[in-house]
Amino acid sequence: MAASRPLVSVYNEKGQSTGNSVVLPAVFRAPIRTDIVNFVHDQMRRNKRQARAVSDKAGEQTSAESWGTGRAVARIPRVRGGGTHRSGQGAFGNMCRGGRMYAPLKVWRKWHRKINLKQRRYALVSAIAASGVPSLVLAKGHSIETVPEIPLVLSDKIQDLKKTKEAVGVLRKIGAWSDILKVYASKHTRAGKGKMRNRRTVMKRGPVIIYDKDNGVKKAFRNIPGVSLLSVERLNLLRLAPGGHVGRFVIWTESAFKKLDALYGTWSKKSQLKVDFNLPQPIMTNSDLGRLLKAFEIQSVLRAPIKRQARRKVKKNPLKNISLMSRLNPYAAVQKRRTLLQQLKGRRTGTTAESKIAARKERTHASLKTKRLSGVNLVKKTKKQQIGATTTTTTTATKTTVSTKSS
Amino acid sequence: MQHDDVIWSVLNGQFCSYKQQKSKTQIFCSNEYNLTGLCDRRSCPLANSQYATVREEKGILYLYMKVVERSHYPKKQWEKIKLHENYIRALKQINEHLIYWPRFIRHKCKQRLTKLTQYIIRTRRLMLKKTAKQELVPIKKKAERRERRHEEKAFVAANIDRAIENELLERLKKGTYGDTYTFPVNAISMDEEDEEVESDEDEEEKEKEQESEEEIEYVEDFDESDAEDMEDMGDDMSDEEELIKSIPSSKKRSLEIEYEPAVEIPVRGAERAGIIYCYATRDSVADDWHVDKLEFKGSSQSQRFLFYDRALRRTSSSTEKLE
Repeated sequence: MAASRPLVSVYNEKGQSTGNSVVLPAVFRAPIRTDIVNFVHDQMRRNKRQARAVSDKAGEQTSAESWGTGRAVARIPRVRGGGTHRSGQGAFGNMCRGGRMYAPLKVWRKWHRKINLKQRRYALVSAIAASGVPSLVLAKGHSIETVPEIPLVLSDKIQDLKKTKEAVGVLRKIGAWSDILKVYASKHTRAGKGKMRNRRTVMKRGPVIIYDKDNGVKKAFRNIPGVSLLSVERLNLLRLAPGGHVGRFVIWTESAFKKLDALYGTWSKKSQLKVDFNLPQPIMTNSDLGRLLKAFEIQSVLRAPIKRQARRKVKKNPLKNISLMSRLNPYAAVQKRRTLLQQLKGRRTGTTAESKIAARKERTHASLKTKRLSGVNLVKKTKKQQIGATTTTTTTATKTTVSTKSS
Repeated sequence: MQHDDVIWSVLNGQFCSYKQQKSKTQIFCSNEYNLTGLCDRRSCPLANSQYATVREEKGILYLYMKVVERSHYPKKQWEKIKLHENYIRALKQINEHLIYWPRFIRHKCKQRLTKLTQYIIRTRRLMLKKTAKQELVPIKKKAERRERRHEEKAFVAANIDRAIENELLERLKKGTYGDTYTFPVNAISMDEEDEEVESDEDEEEKEKEQESEEEIEYVEDFDESDAEDMEDMGDDMSDEEELIKSIPSSKKRSLEIEYEPAVEIPVRGAERAGIIYCYATRDSVADDWHVDKLEFKGSSQSQRFLFYDRALRRTSSSTEKLE
């Protein structure tokens, strides 16, 4: 893998860097597949459910029978007997008051989900990888602006803490206290019936402390609101990606951090503590798309970009479009000018072809007008129409008004 | 392996706590380092490992820069450079520091600098005006309505008239007014107001009756011995007065002389306890008391707050109107 593995420095309980540093475990370079995390989280969340159902006797404890037709009532089964309000009321149906519900809930609903081992491990690995990216931790909502380094590794002395007071002191010194303050600020009463079911308050999640050996850490940190504690050997996706979203703020202890390589393997070496597991292969070895597109290896193989595309040209008629005509035949402009001048001259004298045509037009127009007014049949077939009539006999004789052009 | 593009695909696709989509057309980013305020690939401070912003703190502009090398040290991530007060010099500074940076960031930083300098100028101008010194506080209708009702109830509960009267009588009885008032103190009762308007004549009559009784006694005494009684006469005369003083209080409560009492009424409410100082007058003996001024002082406060002044009333009727 082209993944670089830098050194991560270890911090002591006072927030200062000890001299030690650990090589970043390969887990942190695993592909972050939020879709897998979301799916697995969703499935895992169902595993803590407790069965609930409606009593199967509910709504069925009547001997009601339908009155049938002819009684001017609806045909649902009605309660037998008399002497009480209940008699004659509808029973059994989901629409009836006091009837059984539609599809009564059964305990044998599938409450828990099996998830493939590989999927589970993939999701966990993605979640761990995401916890090592400061941007993702910030986006999740943790305030880590005062934390010295991500991933945050503390010395093993943390594991020996016994008092919560000391634990709080440690969190303050390493700059994680602002996250806990956020948790305090987010405490509010739950919306809904959970209030009266012993789930009254809700609050945000703070940092999770991952240790190797519990010499008191658990007890020291567990009363601090928002803090979760996990052993490296038994990491929980529901704690590393709460809500199905990756990027929880994680505080590692040194030995826990060192164990990650043995637990999850590097690509070159399989996991020692998990049976037949190695880190998932990413689809892209180098996922920096921006850099790739600018790289020489790719750019050299690409054709030049088409900056200006040639679009379909609208054909223009040179006979109507003077500029196009003059592009094709420069002399056309000259010709046109000459004819124009001649026409202008002819208009006054009446000798040009145009003026003659115009005069004839006027005469025919006038004659036609008089004919129309007198009621003469004006149907006159032109040559074209006569041809058309002979070829297609089915066509009816068309009445055409004589247009000036045909003359 | 976790490059900007990967981060952006997670933030854009899955979840980013800074994303604000309040309208359908525009997505905003509530991250304080964001250049444009919008949520997109180029403006996201989280998805760009090389990023810069201009921010304002107390009227001074700073250039914040973030580079890949420091991406894993959140504490030291942002480099803060103070920009020059002069706008043109500040522009030059930005050009200097972001010299080989992407054009977008450089351009947006300069735009932001411009906007922020305009904002600072505006703020300065506002500060000099009176309106800036006055802090505008919104009126909360619900709270106001609630408070007014509480005040009304408290006023009624305080029963100021009654309290004033009691207080004044107590003082009178104690003798704090000394010789100022020359009416018999014990003739005044603290009970009901029913027989308040009793004439002086009645009082005198009662006194006379009692006197006559004493006279009878005196006569008897006189019969027994002569010389002793002669001495006793003088004593008895003074005794009369004493007796009159010690007469069990009748129901009359009239005070002949008008004066302006100041009464302290201890009050206790939901939030704190305190004292209401009440100043009252009345025109004549038969009249009602008119409250002139009401001041309140909380037990822990040093200042008195005038919350009712008769002189400021709009109409002459209700005394319950509180300013």
